[in-house]
Amino acid sequence: MKRYQHFFLTMLAAFSLLVLAACGNSTSGGEESDATDEGQATGGAIEAKIGVISYLSGAGAAYGEAITQGLKLAQKEINEQGEVHIDLVIEDSAGEAEQAVNVGQKLMADDSILAIIGPTLSTEFFAVAPEADLNGITIMGTSTTVDGIPEIGDYVFRNAVPESLAIPAAIEKAVKRTGAKKVALIYGNDDALTKGGFEVMKRKAEEMGLEITTIETYQKGQSDYKAQLTKIKNSNPDLVLASCLYNEGAVILDQARKMGISVPFVGGNGFNSPQVIEIAGDAANGLIVGTPYFGDSEDPKIVEFNKNYEAEFGKKPDQFAAQAYDALYIYADAIKRAGTGEDRDAFRDALAATKDFDGILGKFSFDDVGDVVMDVTVVEIKDGKFVEFEE
Amino acid sequence: MLIEQLINGVTLGSIYAIVALGFTLVFGVLGIINMAHGEIFMVGAFIGVLTTSVLGWPLWLAFLASIVVTAILGYFLEVFSLRPLRGKKGVSHLAPLISTIGVSIFLENLSHHLFGAGNKPFRAEFAEIRFEIGSVTIYLVQITIFVISVILMIGLSIWLSKTKAGKALRATAENIETASILGVDTKKIITLTVMIASGMGGIAGILVGMAFNSVSPQMGLSMGLKGLAIIILGGMGSVKGAVVGGLILGLSETFLVAYGDSGYRDAIAFIMIILILLIRPQGIFGSKAAEGR
Amino acid sequence: MLGEVLNPYYLQVLCFILINIMLALSVYVPLSSGQLSLGSAGFMGIGAYTSALLAIHFELPLYITILVGALLAGVVGIIVGIPSLRLTGVYLAIATLGFGEVIRVFFINWENVTKGSVGLTGIPQLGRSLLNVAKAAGLEPGAFGLRNNQFVYLALAILLLIIVSVLLWFVIRQKNSRIGRAFASIQMDEKAAESMGINITYYKVLAFAQGAFIAGLAGALFAHTIGFISPADFSYHRAVEILIFTVFGGSELVIGSVFGAVILTLLPELLRSVSDYRYILYGIMLVILMAVRPQGILDVHLLLRMRGKRMTRGTG
Repeated sequence: MKRYQHFFLTMLAAFSLLVLAACGNSTSGGEESDATDEGQATGGAIEAKIGVISYLSGAGAAYGEAITQGLKLAQKEINEQGEVHIDLVIEDSAGEAEQAVNVGQKLMADDSILAIIGPTLSTEFFAVAPEADLNGITIMGTSTTVDGIPEIGDYVFRNAVPESLAIPAAIEKAVKRTGAKKVALIYGNDDALTKGGFEVMKRKAEEMGLEITTIETYQKGQSDYKAQLTKIKNSNPDLVLASCLYNEGAVILDQARKMGISVPFVGGNGFNSPQVIEIAGDAANGLIVGTPYFGDSEDPKIVEFNKNYEAEFGKKPDQFAAQAYDALYIYADAIKRAGTGEDRDAFRDALAATKDFDGILGKFSFDDVGDVVMDVTVVEIKDGKFVEFEE
Repeated sequence: MLIEQLINGVTLGSIYAIVALGFTLVFGVLGIINMAHGEIFMVGAFIGVLTTSVLGWPLWLAFLASIVVTAILGYFLEVFSLRPLRGKKGVSHLAPLISTIGVSIFLENLSHHLFGAGNKPFRAEFAEIRFEIGSVTIYLVQITIFVISVILMIGLSIWLSKTKAGKALRATAENIETASILGVDTKKIITLTVMIASGMGGIAGILVGMAFNSVSPQMGLSMGLKGLAIIILGGMGSVKGAVVGGLILGLSETFLVAYGDSGYRDAIAFIMIILILLIRPQGIFGSKAAEGR
Repeated sequence: MLGEVLNPYYLQVLCFILINIMLALSVYVPLSSGQLSLGSAGFMGIGAYTSALLAIHFELPLYITILVGALLAGVVGIIVGIPSLRLTGVYLAIATLGFGEVIRVFFINWENVTKGSVGLTGIPQLGRSLLNVAKAAGLEPGAFGLRNNQFVYLALAILLLIIVSVLLWFVIRQKNSRIGRAFASIQMDEKAAESMGINITYYKVLAFAQGAFIAGLAGALFAHTIGFISPADFSYHRAVEILIFTVFGGSELVIGSVFGAVILTLLPELLRSVSDYRYILYGIMLVILMAVRPQGILDVHLLLRMRGKRMTRGTG
């Protein structure tokens, strides 16, 4: 009888999983977010359904969460303004390319969806975007900063300030102020974002004729960077170019300062986060990054955005949220100009024609490939907070 | 720079050694590779972070908390994952391995959920104390880590050879049935072993947090795989082997980074596994008997 | 008509299911000879990168690149398999795990060729080249009432189905043949098998190399289905995932691997609400399974019982 008991136990487990699946499925495959409770579109508002692929579960869920929240805040405001009414169909890709492709197909097969925002990671984006392009659906990345994204196709855009814009600006300013001649580089070689950032850094350093004293790498899951930092210290650089995600980056900064490396660090998009200050404390001083989003700016638009975001979600926004927020506004603007929420091609053309759109991050346009044309602010961490970089 | 890198290597190696001690203890007694050991180490580190940063407890209390929690985890591991598989006929020798893989996946993702993905800072004044000798900076933490690993090694060896419990453990490792006939409470001994091994993982975890200022849910996986490499190098079931192997790995990784290409750092551990298994499967200090398993 | 029924989303998921069945088989075949290989992710990566690089840089037709990728993986399998003969059980598992990780680090660092962690983009998609072949032959998807992308995924799914069917036929035939019986006897007791005159070396390496070949084939097909690969796709996590297919579904039977792959690939799609906790559930499931039913869900007894036969206990 024991054998049957075991058998029933496992079958029960399997069945309960399936029951859960049925329950999960009945609430529909995607989360439909409709900000206005009245449900009816006010007369004259253009209706549009936008699909969202976001990294909502798993290791990097924080990024996807910030992006989705930025979108939701924008959606609420846009719908209240009444000219356009947006429905968001949000799907989770768990940061995995296969999942992203699956939910991407799901969204693309839905004819009522006008365009797509996301996925979150460049690796996911590279898998999904070619499909979207071939199917004639516009897709835009709000957080994909690696080289080569908008070049995928005519329907592929991004509003995420790419590394190729942010990093050179930061490096130029840093070099100008310090008169640096020698730089050391360190980057995570097992992550697409940090590796992509590194390639931009190396290119820029070579362009500017800087001497590269050493190039170090680290991998995920590593806690001890002392070996690499010792080597960097002994090579005596004037600046350290660090393409890191803010988690590792903060720790690297901390260990570097403890070891006596006091020169400024220049970082890429991944390094730009208030968390760096929280994790590294005083060690964070001297970090220079180029960013579209300067959280402590006195620009009234940004102050307003910060206030609304914090009121809605209980924490301060970061650049992921800010860029997503602007992204939906850019979409809404294109919908208005196209005059329709259903014609995918008309939308695409209107989007491509975006010129000097005034978002919270500044004036925004697309270039002829669908990449970002925007001013980048260079900021540094001084006395424990982000301030604008002064020459 | 050589001296500094040497210190880095010894510190790293000592931590690896402490983790490997836990592995080797469980393998020696149960003949099982506990793939969840790395994750238990990670939990220990997180308990350290939680107690010091969030609860503000003093360091020694954090240590205690870390050891207690990881030992309890070890207990659960033994009872739910390992014990049901013992003594069952027809269970392939791979079942415990797979079961512990299951535990490791469970722990890794659970902590992702609870703690989020990124590095968490670890603040302790103790970690800031340092000495400057010429151009070389040594941290008190680095010395402490090395000393602790030596103490643990010596302590464990003495415990195993001189105390009643230690001898009971060795008897159980030789042959469970005989030991139990001779009056050893094998069930208790085995549970005790796993708990001690896990507690050591916890110690290593909190030491890592102190030494490197950061803990992340990803650290368990890489530490687990490195720990495996070490016990294979040093000889599974050998206490001396764990420490020597740990130091060797720590030093080679550090010197590879210092004088070679840091990109291949992780590959050392794995290449070592492959080479040792092919050339001398019992490891440096292992006995030939281990090969038969 | 057909157009409404064939949703590219379902077809896409079907494609992944089929590839995962292949991967499960790549673990099953060595396992049936007593060898647990955790290096399947590494062989998968070899097949994927080889095929992708050949297609991108030399623009060879896909059926050639895929074949070369799989063959290369198989050859590496032989090279790795021979020294591994000395290892048994857990030792082999760990050595293959180490091998898989070395391959991954290798891919990350060989930046000139593999572009490192940034990954390879623009890999020609198999379904689309099937579409081009069809068009060149004068067939228009519109004639079947299909849109272009439906045809692409339908063609891809059918091709994968054919490949998987052939593989399954081969593996099942082999299992019931002399070779399969040799595998089984080696799995049960190596020394006894050897003393019976079975050439262990030959059979073990054969099983291992077959597993490597199948994984490489699956990897190449994966690359040409998803269009973008990076070293992270072939990590330890992937190897564990593949292992779970076979272990969960049933490690004694070929159908067990199929079952495991189907259910576990569908799970994230069906259980999106619980998808967050997927890996936590997998972990718990593995532990329960090993304690309660280590041979996996489907085993010989269950199958026989389902067919209505009784398990006799020795007497007729």
